Amino acid sequence: MVNVFGVNFHERKFVKKALESFYGLGPQTSARIMAKYTIHPLARIGAIPHKTATALTAELSTMTIEMDARRIVQDNIKRLRDMGTYRGRRHAMGLPVRGQKTRTQTETAKKLNTLERGGTSSRI
Amino acid sequence: MASTNCWRCLARPSQRLLLAPASMTAASSNPTSAAFSTSTQLAARSTSGDTGMSRHIRTGKRLILGKKKRQGDKHKTPGPGERKAFRKRIQLSNDNALVVPGLAELTAQNVVDPGAVGQVVGIPVDVVDQLRTCEAFKSTQNWGLFRSPHMLIRKETVDMAQQLTDAVAKKETLRMVVTGDRGSGKSILGLQALATGFLNKWVVINIPEAQELTTAATEYSTVHNSDMFSQPVYIVKLMQAIHKANGPILSQCRVELDHMQLPISVTRNMSLAALINATKEPEFAWPVFQAFWKELLRPGRPPIMFALDGLAHIMRVSDYRSPAFELIHSHDLGLVRMFAEALGGKTPFPNGAAVLAVCSRGNAPILPSMDKALEQAAAIQAGAKAEEVPLRDAFYRKYDERVFEALRGVRVLDVRGVTKHEARSLMEYWAASGVLRLRVDEKNVSDRWTLAGGGVLAEMERVSLYDIRATV
Repeated sequence: MVNVFGVNFHERKFVKKALESFYGLGPQTSARIMAKYTIHPLARIGAIPHKTATALTAELSTMTIEMDARRIVQDNIKRLRDMGTYRGRRHAMGLPVRGQKTRTQTETAKKLNTLERGGTSSRI
Repeated sequence: MASTNCWRCLARPSQRLLLAPASMTAASSNPTSAAFSTSTQLAARSTSGDTGMSRHIRTGKRLILGKKKRQGDKHKTPGPGERKAFRKRIQLSNDNALVVPGLAELTAQNVVDPGAVGQVVGIPVDVVDQLRTCEAFKSTQNWGLFRSPHMLIRKETVDMAQQLTDAVAKKETLRMVVTGDRGSGKSILGLQALATGFLNKWVVINIPEAQELTTAATEYSTVHNSDMFSQPVYIVKLMQAIHKANGPILSQCRVELDHMQLPISVTRNMSLAALINATKEPEFAWPVFQAFWKELLRPGRPPIMFALDGLAHIMRVSDYRSPAFELIHSHDLGLVRMFAEALGGKTPFPNGAAVLAVCSRGNAPILPSMDKALEQAAAIQAGAKAEEVPLRDAFYRKYDERVFEALRGVRVLDVRGVTKHEARSLMEYWAASGVLRLRVDEKNVSDRWTLAGGGVLAEMERVSLYDIRATV
């Protein structure tokens, strides 16, 4: 098991996958981080030196990911609701926000449009 | 309207009538039963003690709804890496194949003998081991169909081996690119060149698949105080292969330079074999390999054969990215640059060397720069004057200057199909091994040779070895 940013990963896990498991860190950023530390795209997390794993932790701790990234999204939704806007209300109700029909097919909206968007629990 | 027939046993009401005429009155006098169901009728009859009625017991499978009990998986799934190992395995002998007696062995003499053209020769056992170590055999080649590895000496083989040995004897550098159609035997020619190198006791360094270096599938790291990148894990593997394949030659050479900057201690009385085997640490691999290369280039060392398969892959921008997130050109990777400089004639080889680059057609990116550079090199080799050399396309901007530089002044060996004489001896060998069940005569050889597009070897194998039913 290799510890990166407080999370233990299995040695066989791709570094790319491990990085992208953090909220707010996608393919673009993970590719850049890996290039910065000269980790090739198919590297497993067990193959990178211990030094690099520590450097990755340091790099991730400077970034807006996990709870910080969630809080930004949630604050934006909260602001809309507090102002009493239509979008804020639709978020609170878990309904589509941008004028889509609600007769059918609102599963994505039900799943995503909540005040606590992105969940409250962190991996860290 | 539901049928009154029993759908399982195909008994008809008329037959029932014949069997039990008395039952009809009972059935017709039962007005409560629905017309579309016979089950209540049947039940009524059984309770009324009407035994004369033939009853149909429904046997066999019943539909069971709900979850099926899962059977435990009896097959063991392959472990990690097992499938790939199976896919990449190299099988060099087959006990089911017949022994072919009376074939000569490959020697340093007959590989350069024009009289040996068209012979099938066996590869000596120790050379087989060396070739296997430097991964010259490929899993796509049909070695596994025969008792022991044999190969055909063709005209190109002798031609190439002669050029190699002549250049090395004169302590010159031969820089050669092997091109040709798909399946024409370029990789086998590369293998024959490596075998020549081993037989002549040269130091042979082989990069079996160039794409392993540039498709971003192996570790890379920056090199301190340089714009290059090293590929430490691959280099450790390569150093071990060099040590294993060339051990006896390298152990006769002593270290002559001081390598103060190396992270490992290297003394003067150390042999080169010990130097290259000194480290398995990926961190130290590149400096140690550079030191080894520097030592090899000192005067008085054995000649070098540096070969690579899949040239096109190192003539393009690689899939690696630099820390600044820019794509890295393949020639900025340490090992690739080493090869490109040797191929381009920038590295001086005081002891003579052969730098051989084999192209591949099945798996190669399309590179206008490389095509043009090889076209120009072939024209110069054919004795074209300066103004006859094909020019670059004036309207194409993406020519890569580094490719032209790496291929400047190379010799081009164009491999085509074998002659009918060579095809015949090869087919005789196949027939003697028991793989080809066919009388080898003028007509059949000509037949296969033509089917194979004029003796293209892979196609000949396809029409002769794979489709056995058609030949019986």
